[in-house]
Amino acid sequence: MDLVEYLPRLGQGLVVSLQLTALSVVFGYVIGLVFALGVSSRRPWLKWPALVAVEVGRGIPALVVLYIVYFGLPALGVLFENFWAAVIGLTFTAAAYSSEMIRAGIQSVPAGQREAASALGLSRMTSFVRIVLPQGLRSSIPALMGLAIMSFQATSLAYSISVNELMSQAYQVATITFQYLAVYTVTGLVYAAIAVPATWFSVWVEHRLARGAV
Amino acid sequence: MGDALLIVLLGLPMTLLVTVLAFTIGLIGGIPLMLGLRSRTRAVRLACRFAVDLIRGVPPIVWLFLLYFGITIGAFRLDSLSAAVWGLGIISSAYLAEIYRGGFATLPSGQAEASAALGLGRTVTITRVLAPQALRTSLPSIATYLLSLLKDSSIASTIGVADMVFNATMFARQNPTTAGIVPFFIAAAVYLVISIPVAITARRLDTRLRRTH
Amino acid sequence: MNVPLITEANELAIAGVDISNLSKRFGDNLVLDDISMRVKPGSVTALIGPSGSGKSTLLRCVNLLETPDGGSITVGSQTIRAGERVKDKDLLALRRQVGMVFQSFNLFPHFTVLRNVAFPQERILGRSREEAEARARVLLERVGLAEKADQHPGKCSGGQQQRIAIVRALALNPRVMLFDEPTSALDPEVGVEVLTVMRELADAGMTMIVVTHEMQFARDVSDHLVVMADGRIIEEGDPAEIMANPGEDRTRRFLSAVLER
Repeated sequence: MDLVEYLPRLGQGLVVSLQLTALSVVFGYVIGLVFALGVSSRRPWLKWPALVAVEVGRGIPALVVLYIVYFGLPALGVLFENFWAAVIGLTFTAAAYSSEMIRAGIQSVPAGQREAASALGLSRMTSFVRIVLPQGLRSSIPALMGLAIMSFQATSLAYSISVNELMSQAYQVATITFQYLAVYTVTGLVYAAIAVPATWFSVWVEHRLARGAV
Repeated sequence: MGDALLIVLLGLPMTLLVTVLAFTIGLIGGIPLMLGLRSRTRAVRLACRFAVDLIRGVPPIVWLFLLYFGITIGAFRLDSLSAAVWGLGIISSAYLAEIYRGGFATLPSGQAEASAALGLGRTVTITRVLAPQALRTSLPSIATYLLSLLKDSSIASTIGVADMVFNATMFARQNPTTAGIVPFFIAAAVYLVISIPVAITARRLDTRLRRTH
Repeated sequence: MNVPLITEANELAIAGVDISNLSKRFGDNLVLDDISMRVKPGSVTALIGPSGSGKSTLLRCVNLLETPDGGSITVGSQTIRAGERVKDKDLLALRRQVGMVFQSFNLFPHFTVLRNVAFPQERILGRSREEAEARARVLLERVGLAEKADQHPGKCSGGQQQRIAIVRALALNPRVMLFDEPTSALDPEVGVEVLTVMRELADAGMTMIVVTHEMQFARDVSDHLVVMADGRIIEEGDPAEIMANPGEDRTRRFLSAVLER
């Protein structure tokens, strides 16, 4: 049996993987920013829940998070399509990791920036939103790009909750054709063909940012 | 609840076994790869760079399926434990090579120069002067990587390795009620209990190393 | 740079600064010990002394970047007493009267030079963007940096960055300007560019408090010299007189150490 005729199925799977990545990264980073603000807060009722969410999200395997969403939410009477269960699980993991990266970025902004803003008479809010946050986010860009690549790879775990992404399609094609070695090799190369250049790009961006180029 | 706890804890030794074996492979396998990344020959350097990036570019689950289902020589096939250990071990080698390389990269160039000026050979310079310092600065990253490996070991459950997560999914499939998800929460708690002390130690180590530098 | 730096200076209500019985601790360490000092409107005060003498901390107390533990500070008609809770409104009002220039410039690297100068005006004086940028361009022109307006601060030399920082503060019409070792991070030949701008500002009648190691500037430009050591004022008075005839041994030692550099 010719593997080539099954390539479109892998292509369809890849599209689903990329959709999962995009959704979980966009939602995850927004929630990650909220978590980062929460963890940095001086108010205990904001700080502690955010801290627990972040440590739990980073401390448990993404696979376990997916299973909890997939098996757990229906038990609570909430029903999701598998696809959305995967989006929720991957978003949570991305949020937890990104929040630490964003927090590190914010912390890396020199204290003099905040001082200069206060000395000019800018309010604390303006100083944070317009002076500190943009610089903090900029310095966390390379880490967030790396996390986006990790998130793309992590979409392969959605196979385990039967989402029709690339890994599931590969599994099905392999089962039909019995060409396990060839199918999984091709699949691995598809993932790598996206992840490796993306990694090189993020390294390039990191160097540019380090050189102070805008 | 008692059943769920028992069934998850029965998987814990397997979780730890997979993690430790894969980590050991990575610690050793990372060394030649790191030397390649630091080679003076450009071709070797580029080849190793490409290999490390390629290994890391393929998701762990694909590595495990490739080794478990894909490797058949006659009647020989890897059992699921070996496939998981070797798969995660290969990935660890690539990540640890990169971490080792990073450790060497942060050393001041004066160290190698001073060693050379004293007339110490290249091997002695690397093994006795540079490597101990590089290892010291890499320790927090190595500990952090061990944690992510612990979490990735759960992926072995997808090829049938009977770790905590595998046992939890079996339980959930047999109990499609609310009780079905209890084992996942227990497994999650166990991962947290193992990782939080390591995370705290790594953070302390990191601040201490920063202070001494 | 023949045009006076701030032609508006005379229109401005220039304020004086009154510091009385100020103290500040960092943990167990008493860094300011019962400091009293008066800065007349339109005068230039130079603060000198060995590192760790508390001069920067004193300066930073004037705009409450540091919160004093005792005493009071009056800028213009506004008085802040230590121990009383300062309302956000009063804090901002104080900082809007007082401009500050830092040793490390602290320009905002993600803004262009023009935005660095215009943005605070929009936020603090409520100017429109056009108005703020137009004024920013005028001020940049006066310090010879018009052509840098659309670049990022990272592309400017240290001396240029410090001149931009001065302009950024001036654009807000402060009544007092604080300078915290403005030339210490600069090579001497570049520091001159910055000192020239400061001298023009002094000539235009701005109230200035300057922490500095530039003895020539202190002698030629300042009206009043304050020597600090170990958190106290050990000597103050006419700059030329103190430099020629230090009344204190510690002043003498400090001066000879600085001049020998």
